[in-house]
Amino acid sequence: MHKQLIKLTVNGDTHELAVAPNQTLLDVLRNELGMTGTKRGCTAGSCGVCTVNGEAGEAICSCLTLAIEWDGRAVTTIEGVQEGSELHPVQQAFLEYGAVQCGFCTPGLIMTAKALLDVNTSPTEDEISEALAGAICRCTGHIKVKKAVRRAAEMLRERDAAAR
Amino acid sequence: MQLPQFEYLKPATLSEGLAMLAEHRADVKILSGGSDLLINMKFGLDTPRYLVSFNGLEELVAIQERPDGGLRIGAACTLTDLVRDPKIETQLPALRDAIHSVGSRHIRNVGTLGGNLCLDTRCWYTNQSENWRATRDGCFKTDQELCHVIKTSTRCHALNTSDTAPMLMALDATVELSSAAGTREVPLLEFYREDGVQHTVREPEELLTAVLVPRFDGRAVFSKLAQREGLDFAAGTLAVAVTGTNEAPRSVRLVMGSIAAAPKALAGCEAILLEQGINDASIDAAASAARDALGKITNLFTPSGYKRRLIKNFVREALAELRDQAD
Amino acid sequence: MSAKKEELSVVGKNWSRLDGVDKVSGRSIFTDDVRLPGMLYGKIVRSPHPSARIVSVDTSAAEALPGVKAVITAADAQGILIGMNQPLLPTKFVKFVGHEVAAVAALDEATAAAAAKLIKVEYDVLPTVLDMTKALRDDAPQLHQKAKRNVGWEENLDYGDPDAAFAACDVIREGEYVTNPSHNCYAEYHVCVADFTKAGQLTMWTPTQTALLFQKSLAAGLKLSDSDVRLLTLNSGGGFTGRTATRPHHFLAALLSRKAGRPVRIRASGDEEFTMCHAGGKVIYKLKSGATKDGRLKVVEADLLFDSGAYVESQMIVTLLTSRYLGALYPIQHARYRGRLVHTNNQPYYFHHGGGIAQFQFALGQHLDGLAQDLGLDPVEFNLLNAVEEGHTTLEGSHYASCGLKECIEKAAAKSGWKDKRGKLPKYKGIGIGIGAMASGAKGLFKHDTSAAFVKIADDGKASLFIGLPDMGQSSHTTMAIIGAEVLGITPDDFQVVSGDTASDPLDVGAFTQRGTFNTGNATRNACLDAREQLAATAARQLDVDADRLVFRDHRVYPDGEPDRAIPFKKVVYDTLHSLEGRFVMGRGFYNSPLKKGTMAYSFGAQIAEVTVDPGTGVVTVDRMTVAHDVGRAINPRIVEGQIDGQVFSGMSQALYEECVMENGQIMNPSRLDYKMPRAFEMPEVDHIIVETVDPNGPFGAKEVGEGPIVCTMPAIANAVADAVGRQVREMPMSPWRVLRAIQ
Repeated sequence: MHKQLIKLTVNGDTHELAVAPNQTLLDVLRNELGMTGTKRGCTAGSCGVCTVNGEAGEAICSCLTLAIEWDGRAVTTIEGVQEGSELHPVQQAFLEYGAVQCGFCTPGLIMTAKALLDVNTSPTEDEISEALAGAICRCTGHIKVKKAVRRAAEMLRERDAAAR
Repeated sequence: MQLPQFEYLKPATLSEGLAMLAEHRADVKILSGGSDLLINMKFGLDTPRYLVSFNGLEELVAIQERPDGGLRIGAACTLTDLVRDPKIETQLPALRDAIHSVGSRHIRNVGTLGGNLCLDTRCWYTNQSENWRATRDGCFKTDQELCHVIKTSTRCHALNTSDTAPMLMALDATVELSSAAGTREVPLLEFYREDGVQHTVREPEELLTAVLVPRFDGRAVFSKLAQREGLDFAAGTLAVAVTGTNEAPRSVRLVMGSIAAAPKALAGCEAILLEQGINDASIDAAASAARDALGKITNLFTPSGYKRRLIKNFVREALAELRDQAD
Repeated sequence: MSAKKEELSVVGKNWSRLDGVDKVSGRSIFTDDVRLPGMLYGKIVRSPHPSARIVSVDTSAAEALPGVKAVITAADAQGILIGMNQPLLPTKFVKFVGHEVAAVAALDEATAAAAAKLIKVEYDVLPTVLDMTKALRDDAPQLHQKAKRNVGWEENLDYGDPDAAFAACDVIREGEYVTNPSHNCYAEYHVCVADFTKAGQLTMWTPTQTALLFQKSLAAGLKLSDSDVRLLTLNSGGGFTGRTATRPHHFLAALLSRKAGRPVRIRASGDEEFTMCHAGGKVIYKLKSGATKDGRLKVVEADLLFDSGAYVESQMIVTLLTSRYLGALYPIQHARYRGRLVHTNNQPYYFHHGGGIAQFQFALGQHLDGLAQDLGLDPVEFNLLNAVEEGHTTLEGSHYASCGLKECIEKAAAKSGWKDKRGKLPKYKGIGIGIGAMASGAKGLFKHDTSAAFVKIADDGKASLFIGLPDMGQSSHTTMAIIGAEVLGITPDDFQVVSGDTASDPLDVGAFTQRGTFNTGNATRNACLDAREQLAATAARQLDVDADRLVFRDHRVYPDGEPDRAIPFKKVVYDTLHSLEGRFVMGRGFYNSPLKKGTMAYSFGAQIAEVTVDPGTGVVTVDRMTVAHDVGRAINPRIVEGQIDGQVFSGMSQALYEECVMENGQIMNPSRLDYKMPRAFEMPEVDHIIVETVDPNGPFGAKEVGEGPIVCTMPAIANAVADAVGRQVREMPMSPWRVLRAIQ
């Protein structure tokens, strides 16, 4: 098994990396690029702490996708969510609503929420719960997290309205 | 958990990929979404020498209307794309329900229809790490002629837990299997085998390339029994599809999943409803027949006694919902 | 100490977490993020048998594998015990599936895993006993010579005269309940990084609830002096009573590091997370209670059997805690307790969220709910009639200087509409109440329950607060900053909380037994009062007033009643520091419960659960939780709500979902998928009612909230399910199959 060169764009920056076929996207982000914001959890796609956003902004478990499949593609991680020095509305809402406790699942939850809100700033309660179902949060029990997502949706709608 | 080593092959075209499957048929696995395969590889259950990735091939992600009004769905369509497709939503809402119940959004964003139909069977004696499995003997799935679930069995009883399979079976779907030698179509009702190891008729060099769903003018219901919504394997799934009226049904299909090594079409129940129509009495009779038809239920993941107790109500509720749809 | 609410300017507001921005941007560092030059990766070899004799251990193939830098076996680990009697790496016998036998460190995780596979261990399988009741029989295999009939620990307590009390009762009830093995399931898997490359000096990074106890345990085991062990606590991804003691992997990482001469990281992989540390084991509760016909509870008797697994580590704490609970909520004068820790060939069990008490309340809360019904009383009525009040001293000497239990019951009942619902709901809908109390501290578990704090203030008026209390998500660092800010008249964001390095942390027993807010909070308050005194001396001179007339508020210092004469806080600091004689502004403080045994304060609560049961499947949906909790004073209401939410989640999760399904001493469902916990869809609406009784001993009247609520949640849901179904479901979790059986 030999390594292969891939071009991976992370948060807008393109990196040329030598990766082995059996390295997951999570491995490469954390170990090759040193971007430890994306966390390692169950490594089996059931806890969501490793969530990143794919090219269409969709929520993906980076532990269950091979890095080599991402040659020529782009991914967004928690480190790329902030807008310059301004927090993204999802990040602000999480803080405002006390949806952060130990913080280990927080990057995964924010990427999950962002994926939902990037395509739909008026999600129903069920859509919020459904989006979050793939991510675990042991400390908040999801209760304030759902409120934060609702608030973030509201902030994004306000922002969209102001832009028009 | 670590992935074992393997050679990664990425064909530029479908025929190139099929040639790779043929060449390496003895030691190859197909990489689709990967959300099932990669976990099994991390568990050391699958250690193929070659992985052929069919992601990104245009011809595998189309959703087309067929001349007879049915749909041809590319097997590499992600489950999320299918959930959002307007054709599926309007023509086959119950199918959309089934697709929507797979995993979580995270899983559906990469998981494919082909992958879910070919989903490996699951058993809590086997779908565990190597270290976990070292506490006991191997089994039919690994390296011994033994089943931990039903000790006297001569075959594997791992469960088929695909949510899309029962619904597509109830809709009389057909799968297109392609290989370097050509294509063949297999009705989904004949695709699965009552064996947790060789659980489909697909050969290693074959790729499931499309699902053909005939035009459906009737009513259908998909029901999933799980303690948790949004991410849970089912304790049982039920797919029912009926054409005609409640008084005079023309066709009835009733398929139960997550209860055996293959999804089960319950012919006895179907016959009752066809003969008697869909009403309180026949629903009750069909529900009882369903429980009897299932035979020995395993104690995998949920107690078998519970599953037996549930089935009647489960079937009854789904059939009642179906009957009420006519109004 | 009991300031009126209007007089407080900082405490009681919803301040943002100090570490919040880092956490939402992925900048917070956790142990798995630590990268050290030359770091190796460790893997543990574990017994696949619940009971066996070790015949031989052959490490030669592993040692020969390229990339392997160290292999350790029992010979390397001699003398080190985990807890009372568990050898770190046994020489002769393994007594549970997962028992550590050897460990290896290599250049990468794949090589370490491959090397672990190459270590050949030969076993002679021995008879096992996996069921507690079987373990107590004469013919059962004995796990330990000293533990007769496999009883590893026994606690017997009698208060008053229970037999006479029962004789005088009009109504007596008996019942048996069961709770099952569980796992803490934090988001952050077990992990540690050990650097033992410098002789006689160990540095370790690991998530923990108590750096002090970890430091002492590692020092004792490795025969080092405490100060030669440096614990670095970065962020901890949740504790839930599961990170209160060192585990084998901590020692194994240290030994591997010493042998290899390089740092070593060990992280639980997949199912190993369930093997490395367990939460509670199976418990059988035999309960008997008696009341007189006026509805007064008179006597409670409890006989508890705990499956403590193959070894006793610190599980005796559970018998201590549950024995105290008999008289915690009701002012009974008579009680009998028997608690036994039974050895089986299951993995050693520890504590889940709730510390054994919440799980006990599942049983006791349901049992007494049944007694209430036997008396013909509505459960809310029964609880209001019997609940303890302020000023009460319990059977074993706990004194309630503040107690809002009745207020909680009344408010929860009112808010939930109990009167209009109880007994009037349609079939399969239910409403139930659960009450609880929780101590704010650990005095009696240890000889001292000390927390200490230092604060230094700089020219710019900003403070650095040094504490030894780990923040595992409960926001303790922010809470301390709020307390300190109130004392100094500044705001929490003027604080930097410095913590997480035993080399500089002041003494602190740790973040468990709910001692943080109360003990470390008082210590912080005292340290800031000390600093304030130094500043007051300067300002008093400048303003020509007595120092005790000075008010510190809104970043200003002024004589009481004369805000127009205010000096900016920053200036007072500056002037103090830049004096000719070169002063400093540094405060120190500490707090330790003055009692010989027992803590000074208890939180109390009442919760009402409303559920719907699906009679076809037995699935329980929690529709609403009304939570009233007496926290003394809410230092930060939003954080208090967050704690309540998290415990409603955890209580509900244990009540309805969580169970380690065991077979042959092995967990059948060691994954986040199959070990069930509810997620976003399943969570109910939660109404929070914060009751503030302003405890005379807590910092600004605050008491704990870290584990009190969860004690109420399990009985509330259990009683609601019993109401919905018409029968009690006496086994936890009340999974669909157990509920369905109760219905049919």
